[in-house]
This record gives sequence, structure tokens and C-alpha cells, in this order.
Amino acid sequence: MLVLRRRAGESLLIGNDVEIEVLAISAQGVKIGIRAPRETVVLRKELKITQQQNKAAAQGLSGVDFKQALEKLRSNSRIDPALR
Amino acid sequence: MLSVQTKYFGMLSCREEEVFEFHRGMPAFEAEKRFVLIELPENASLVFLQSLTQPMLCFLAFPILVADRDYQLAVSAEDLAELDLDRGRQPELGCEVLVLALVSLQDGFSATANLMAPVVLNLKTRRGLQAIRQDRVYSHQHPIESLSPGAAC
Repeated sequence: MLVLRRRAGESLLIGNDVEIEVLAISAQGVKIGIRAPRETVVLRKELKITQQQNKAAAQGLSGVDFKQALEKLRSNSRIDPALR
Repeated sequence: MLSVQTKYFGMLSCREEEVFEFHRGMPAFEAEKRFVLIELPENASLVFLQSLTQPMLCFLAFPILVADRDYQLAVSAEDLAELDLDRGRQPELGCEVLVLALVSLQDGFSATANLMAPVVLNLKTRRGLQAIRQDRVYSHQHPIESLSPGAAC
């Protein structure tokens, strides 16, 4: 990974048409401005991870294995039904 | 009563007031804005989050404290506002909100729970959303084998 040191107000360029500017730095975080072509997708990484994880979760259980998988999940989780 | 075509349980019916409204949809499923919870008496703790408009979309989930009994919520102010909740504090589990961890099954039945992006449901206004954490405290693939027994919701 390329590591650069930048101060507030300084920016860097990625390729010909993406600019990342450090707008402000505080204890809570870094405020970043991004200048990029409209068709360039900019996502928080955790949103991308959540999309991928949701797609995996939506696969769910296949019909045949349904009961078996539930049983397995339940025994794995060792949950006391009284806790619900 | 609404008739709901479900992924696992055939046709079920529910009342309109049982529906949770997800105004933003769910990440990767942005068009799905209405879900109902299905609970099975014989499957304590495991719940199903079924889309009303997409019968094949049904998530498996655990209440978050079942997945991690010490789980600490960190819902952003923006998400709290979207949920009609007080922006100044985290909501109370069980009373104000039901918080679920979505479960993914890998090959061979190993399963993980997404603790990084819990689904938060406002029990009073029936608003829901997936609240993606901005810290890195919890995994999006928390192994279910390490579930803590004895968690109270």
C-alpha cells in the first residue's frame, strides 16, 4: 500500500480525473472531499462489505436441507429457549 | 390481513401493523422496503426477516445479544433519525428496538453472523434499517459456533 502524509487543504490525484482532498482533520476523524467523474462509483468500504454479506445471507437455505440446517444452527448456538 | 408468500413457509398471513418499513431498503436489496418477522416456536431465537414483495428474499437472523451477549450498539445519529429515535443516545434493546444480526450459511453448514451491520427495528413506529457501524469493533463474519449461551434479550 502506498502511504502518503497530507495536511488539511492538501490533495492527491488518482489517475487523470480523480482528486482526493483532505478538508479537515479532527479527533473524530478526517473529512475528505472527492472530485471524480459522475460515473465513478464512490462507496464507503463498509457499505460494499454489507452488500456482499447481504447477498451471501440471502442465499439462505436450500429447501432440502432446510430442517437439517436449522437443527444444526440451533444445536451450534446452544440457546436456552427460555431466554427469548 | 395481508397474504405473504414466504421463501420457507408457504403462504402466511400477517396484519398490516406487523410490517416493518425499510425506507432505504437493504444494501444490495434497495428496492425491498417492506419486511415481516417470522418466528418459529420450535426455533427459539432464530428469526426470519421475509420481504413482502420478493418471496425468495428471506434472511435468517439472531437477536444481537444471542450472537454476542455484550454487544454494544453504535447507531449513527443519521440512522437514529431515520428510525424516528432520539439522536442523543443509543436506543434500549428489547424495549424500543429489536436488533438482529443477519446470518450467512457457508458450505457444510458453518454459519456466521453480521455484527458489523445489525438490522435495527423500531418496535413502536415499525421503521427498520440496516445500521452499518463506522468503527471496526465487530466482524461482519462472526462465527456462530462462538455464540454466547445465556444471553438475555
